[in-house]
Amino acid sequence: MGRFLLRRLGLAILTLILLSLIVFFGTHVLPGDVGRVILGPFADARAVAELDKQLGADKPLIVQYWTWVSGVFRGDLGTSLAFQQSVSSLLFPALLNSLKLALVAFVIVVPLGILGGIVSALNRDRFTDRAITITGLSSVAVPEFVTGIVLIVIFAVNLNWFPVTAQAPPGSSLLTQLHYLLLPAIALVFVLFGYIARITRAGMIEALDADYTRTATLKGLPQRTVVRRHVLRNALLPTIAVVATQTGYLIGGLVAIEVLFNYQGIGHLLFISAQKKDLPVLEACVLVVGVVYLIATVIADVIYSLLNPRIRYGTAE
Amino acid sequence: MKDPQEQLDDIRRQRSDVENHLIDELRAGKISRREFMRRGTVVGMSFSLVAFIAAACGNNNSGAPSPTATVGGSPTPGGGSVKAGGTITVSEISPAGAVNPLTVADEGGLATLGQAGQYLTWSNDKLQLEPVIAESWSPNTDGSVWTFKIRQGVTYNDGSTQLTADDVVATLKAHSDPANKGNALSAFTGVLEPDGVAAQGSDTVVCTLKAPNGSFPYLVSSDNYNVIILPASYDYGGDYTKSFIGTGPWKMSNFNSQTGVTYVKSPSYWQQGLPYLDGFSLKYFADQQPQVLGLQQGSIDVIAQFSAATGQALLNDSAITVYATKSSAHRQVHMRTDQAPFDKKEIRQALALSLNRPDLVSGLMNGKADLGNDSPFAPAFPQTDTSVPQRAQNISQAQQLMSQGGAANGFNVTLYTWNGYEIPQLAQLIQQAAAQIKITIKLQVQDANTYYSKYWLNSPMGITDYGHRGVPNVFLAAPLLSTGTWNAAHYKNPAYDTLVGQYVAAVDLDAQRAVAKQIETMLLDDTPIVFPYFYNHMSASKPTIAGAEFTGMGHIRLTKAGLTA
Repeated sequence: MGRFLLRRLGLAILTLILLSLIVFFGTHVLPGDVGRVILGPFADARAVAELDKQLGADKPLIVQYWTWVSGVFRGDLGTSLAFQQSVSSLLFPALLNSLKLALVAFVIVVPLGILGGIVSALNRDRFTDRAITITGLSSVAVPEFVTGIVLIVIFAVNLNWFPVTAQAPPGSSLLTQLHYLLLPAIALVFVLFGYIARITRAGMIEALDADYTRTATLKGLPQRTVVRRHVLRNALLPTIAVVATQTGYLIGGLVAIEVLFNYQGIGHLLFISAQKKDLPVLEACVLVVGVVYLIATVIADVIYSLLNPRIRYGTAE
Repeated sequence: MKDPQEQLDDIRRQRSDVENHLIDELRAGKISRREFMRRGTVVGMSFSLVAFIAAACGNNNSGAPSPTATVGGSPTPGGGSVKAGGTITVSEISPAGAVNPLTVADEGGLATLGQAGQYLTWSNDKLQLEPVIAESWSPNTDGSVWTFKIRQGVTYNDGSTQLTADDVVATLKAHSDPANKGNALSAFTGVLEPDGVAAQGSDTVVCTLKAPNGSFPYLVSSDNYNVIILPASYDYGGDYTKSFIGTGPWKMSNFNSQTGVTYVKSPSYWQQGLPYLDGFSLKYFADQQPQVLGLQQGSIDVIAQFSAATGQALLNDSAITVYATKSSAHRQVHMRTDQAPFDKKEIRQALALSLNRPDLVSGLMNGKADLGNDSPFAPAFPQTDTSVPQRAQNISQAQQLMSQGGAANGFNVTLYTWNGYEIPQLAQLIQQAAAQIKITIKLQVQDANTYYSKYWLNSPMGITDYGHRGVPNVFLAAPLLSTGTWNAAHYKNPAYDTLVGQYVAAVDLDAQRAVAKQIETMLLDDTPIVFPYFYNHMSASKPTIAGAEFTGMGHIRLTKAGLTA
């Protein structure tokens, strides 16, 4: 187990280094320069050049990369070009907000999706299965900002059950915050339910058809026990992988939803920093989202290996 | 008691030549009462004085400043009455950068500055100047020296600092100093330098200009939105958002660069009994859609600005009050006059004639815009000579001009612009219109940064967005003068340059309008830039809110706003 974890972490660090390179060079390939961003479109070209020099934006990219990466290692993410405040003072509150929204959505959608998948599989090819599959697929096909607007118009504007924004006033109680977060979380449930249910269903069906399940049934175990002890344990393995990658999306990929609900999370920050060409913020956001994805996959791998001894002992295949 | 005529004669003896000329124009019927009120306030007459003179001259056509009604609760601009107290939520697009008085250059930023901050003068929705920190102002004979009387007894919102003439001097020096690279330099360059500002005693500030300028009070008004009056001790390199110091009716109780500002009533505010509200929160949004939904649902009381395209639902909602403020904000379609294919004016005229402007206005702006006539003189400006015929679509004439310009078979050209507002759609409509006269336009729609840093000033053809100004001076100079810094059309016409010089120096409206006519005619003939329309600035509120004031520039003033009684 230790060796497995070590190898997994090593890979994660390598991925992180690669990611930092892609993020940095990717954002610097974008047209437009830093001085111009700060001074605005109407500023004098000489003033822009002078500012670029002061900020080191005229140095070779590799030197700039090193300055940035060594800063990141020291915990210094730099200063926002647009807001003239430290990137971390923007990033961490946004990350916290994103985590809150992700948690609410996660708590709703994961059990719901898994349950949907199980019910589908146990009723394979019957009406319930078809209904769950079709609902799931159609909700996945509708983009989240469309679902979001429809939810807002129905439940916030017309019925007035929920606020239109997800940002609770400062100092709100947990319950109030939950009330604000529920509508965007439901929009996310629509996006993710289909995925999770489909994968669970597929895993379940595979496990239900497996020899060990037949053996368990034949030796006279009640169906509940068969499903819980033998089917689920195997069937959920692919679901865990899907849920893990979706966690990354839930925390860092909610640009449309966060902008629509005016929720100051990472997605919102990504959106405005990209709009304003605020490179230090943009880079930090992408890096953080990358780290979140990595952590989520490492956790998924660990859970996967705990459930699946073949991986833990490295003897698979 | 003297009759009004005698009183008028008394007044006239005390007024300057410029002011008397204006009174003559009113008497001769050359200008309407509305224009007199507007110009009168520019040259420094008080509202009550211009109203008296207008009445004494027996000219009673429309144009009084916003009426106030006093039924029930407290009076508000625009009529209606409100009760004291309460708080509201105003939505605003997130500022594009740090809220720093020197550098703010966008609507979210200026709307934030204008709450705790105040200007010498306020340029209202009818382009009239109202006194704020300056109680009155007057020019010398040629408009090269302007004297401002500074209001006394004004305390800043910290509750202790007193406003002095030195504060005004320090503020104007900071914004006019090229070393500070402030945004206000776009208006001050060539007009005011730090050396030109001086205090005379404790209540007078004198501005000696680089050249005569009949519109100078506008350059220190809310139109030049950076120039909020701050204490002489204010550090312009510091963080304004830590204190939100200012002479305005509000003080900041909470600020977050991402979510917005919460303002509370400033107990030390100089206007007795104001503001009516206890406070308000200015909420920042990255996008318009959530603001529209928020107003419809009721969690937002006022939307500071929305576009016709996104706010369609508001325009059709009878439960929402929509404010359409005429403005001079517009799009410029430049054609590079020093290079083929647009080096011949016939070709440029042909392109301008291919456009169906009323269709553009109804299709892109929901009708909430005035037609442009290919010069910066927007219908909203009183200086505009409206007798110059409006250019209308004429395809056969355009085809004829194409032949005269030697391009009967058309040509290919690339139009560069950026992806914002209705601009990409405008570009497509221009593309379709030009196709009718065999001009094949290829569109290059970039992001704003790329367009402005790479293509704006170096493209054969492009679309650029210009915000509102209270006077056309900046529009006449920067994009069109031979030496203009934003001259994307590379237009060079010494005769035009001379006319603009004359226009800027003219102090009275008659003279300004005479030059305006010549400029309008000249630009219509040369057509370096197509000005398709000047769009309204649109805001909206719940009907339960009264007294909110908006300007074409994007300010929102809530000093006299409140919940309806």
